Amino acid sequence: MASTVIGAGITVEGEITTDEDIVVAGTVRGKLSAKEAVTIEHGATVEADVVGSSLTVAGALTGNVTANERVDLQSGSRVVGNVKASRVTIADGALFKGNVDMDV
Amino acid sequence: MAANGTIIGRTTRVRGRVTGEVDLEVQGFVEGEISVGGDVTVDTHGLVGANVRGRRLVVRGAVKGDLVGEEAIALEEGARVVGDVRAPRVAIAPGALVRGYVETGDGAAGSARATRAAPAARPVVAPKAAPAAAPKPVAAAVSAKPATMAAAARPAASSLNDGGAAANSTNANASHGANHAGGRRPPPPVVPALKKAKGQIAKKKER
Repeated sequence: MASTVIGAGITVEGEITTDEDIVVAGTVRGKLSAKEAVTIEHGATVEADVVGSSLTVAGALTGNVTANERVDLQSGSRVVGNVKASRVTIADGALFKGNVDMDV
Repeated sequence: MAANGTIIGRTTRVRGRVTGEVDLEVQGFVEGEISVGGDVTVDTHGLVGANVRGRRLVVRGAVKGDLVGEEAIALEEGARVVGDVRAPRVAIAPGALVRGYVETGDGAAGSARATRAAPAARPVVAPKAAPAAAPKPVAAAVSAKPATMAAAARPAASSLNDGGAAANSTNANASHGANHAGGRRPPPPVVPALKKAKGQIAKKKER
């Protein structure tokens, strides 16, 4: 279990920074920055620029994404924004609008 | 532990508002208002630099800001609170440090919605306080300069004796003893990080 969880029903407006994993099941507006993995769960709403080592999205994300390792947009996710990571996967059924930059 | 609720982990810093209707556990740093419908726990390592509102509040860490509980507030050992404390029931355990105005009773949570009008320098004897929260001087006898933080809480308590506040001297002694109960080390003073937090908030507003 991640050490930081923004549970469903919680809204954070502002900036979140952490050295650990973070799981978002609620709403985050502003900025989200983690040294470890970021998970945006199904039902979550994130309107923020996201920085992390890796990012897994199953919910809704609006904002630019920068990940050191990988970004996985799962089926059912909805992402609007630019994605920058060395590895990016977009599952069948994921909605995505934005640029992808994979350090080619 | 917030079972499936929200946890702000040890190394996590939140700058901004946290709202919602569920439980919240703060083990890290929150610099911004917390207002939730559920219970709020500020853990031993938790630091909150703003007002906190919730149904029941449990504090074992540091809070610089007003606490408002719809049902109850428990300040446990290790709690360091600089700010007003309002709830129908307030419990202050031995080893908790408080500097601010404390109000219990049914009107407390409601009146706290008004602005913080009360001068933060009035000793309050909690009328309905639980036995654990036997009347404390609440370290409010000295006109509170927030900058001095809760580190001054004990000196403030002992100054009650010198200051000729004889009526309060037993309370002061009681709390003085309580702080050292069982030979435990008293909790550390509110950490300087909170001072910094205040500055950061101010900066944020300037922008």
